[in-house]
Amino acid sequence: MSELAPDAQRLAELLARSGMSDRKAFAELYALTRSKLFAVSLRIVRERHLAEEVLQDSFVNIWNHARDYASAKSAPMTWMTAIVRNRSLDIVRRTGWEMQDDDDFMTNSLEDGAVALDDAFEMKRDAHSVHRCMDELEADQRQSIALAFFHGLSHSELAEHMKKPLGTVKTHIRRGLLRLKDCLGQAA
Amino acid sequence: MKYSHPDLREALAASYVLGTLRGAARRRFVRLLTADQSLSTVVEKWEHYLTPLAARVKPIDPPARVWRAIEARIARGQVAAASMPEAGSSFWDSLAFWRNWGLAATGLAAALMIATVVIKPQPPAESAMVAVLSTPENVPRMIVEKHSGMLKVKVVQAWASLPENDLELWVVPKEGAPRSLGVVSYAKDSEVRRGNLDNLLADGAAFAISKEPKGGSPSGAPTGPILCSGSIAKMPVKT
Repeated sequence: MSELAPDAQRLAELLARSGMSDRKAFAELYALTRSKLFAVSLRIVRERHLAEEVLQDSFVNIWNHARDYASAKSAPMTWMTAIVRNRSLDIVRRTGWEMQDDDDFMTNSLEDGAVALDDAFEMKRDAHSVHRCMDELEADQRQSIALAFFHGLSHSELAEHMKKPLGTVKTHIRRGLLRLKDCLGQAA
Repeated sequence: MKYSHPDLREALAASYVLGTLRGAARRRFVRLLTADQSLSTVVEKWEHYLTPLAARVKPIDPPARVWRAIEARIARGQVAAASMPEAGSSFWDSLAFWRNWGLAATGLAAALMIATVVIKPQPPAESAMVAVLSTPENVPRMIVEKHSGMLKVKVVQAWASLPENDLELWVVPKEGAPRSLGVVSYAKDSEVRRGNLDNLLADGAAFAISKEPKGGSPSGAPTGPILCSGSIAKMPVKT
């Protein structure tokens, strides 16, 4: 599984060549990352046609800004994922996303735990540590952060989903993030 | 709200990356980000922290049409950049002309009469060619790319089935009548291979697709409506 994953070095190379208007390199970059990034967006926007729109906009954006990547300090997959997530969150806001399929959330989260880490995220070490640090959170904190990150739930959607007051959910998130930061700060 | 307090900056950056910062607050934060380098650094740190979580999302393949649309949008950008008007540039450079041309009732003959007044030096032979063919409504439908010895005609958006007709690809030279390059598929990508392709394309200014009877135009000139067209951008060959 992991040996099939694109490595960060290759992705960085392809991004650099895309920055010089190399369309072949860009096509390969897309081929290597599309299914991961599509899945990331689909989780958040929940509708395939919206996720397709996000992927399209994001890759046009990646093409146009590929030359800026060199100055970013992040791993290529982190950089691209951030672009896709941000665009997804824009669209969610635009279309007034509604909660659906509640049971799905937890099923998906459970399934995800079983999937091998992806080398494309380069930071195997960091990936391990963010997951290790997530494990150290209290259950409510972990759940609210995972729902927000993977499914793009807002504070009020989280409150509704977790059947807790808004203030309580905000506190889970705030404290969870602080603990993550402490934990990841040590790992760095 | 005061954005200068370090704890607040940290908290906002974290909820921006997590995704819980929404609506007007998110838009405001994005505006701040572009102006504040140190805030960007805090955001990058949080992206570095949280984004690896996405490594566990199970991949799902997007449909092929997404890539087609991306390619079309990128090619359009390149065409725009490559055909920036230069001194004395011809109307051929104007995509707008081509988009309107297809519907012009006066048709090809009139257009070609105007074309004859255009005199422009030939670009160097060593160049790649690409054209995005759009409908009169400015919807990109096909892409034509020159590869060594052949043309690739890609379908951005398939046409409705044409049981009685074929699509025919034309190269329109700067002067003279359009030359047929052959019949292409309405639904999938085609390759056009002609022995004398380089000669046919030598002074090509645009590509156009017309609707013709089965087997292509019987007369050697376009007989049906021009469905889409686009001027050719020539770009230096990448090394």
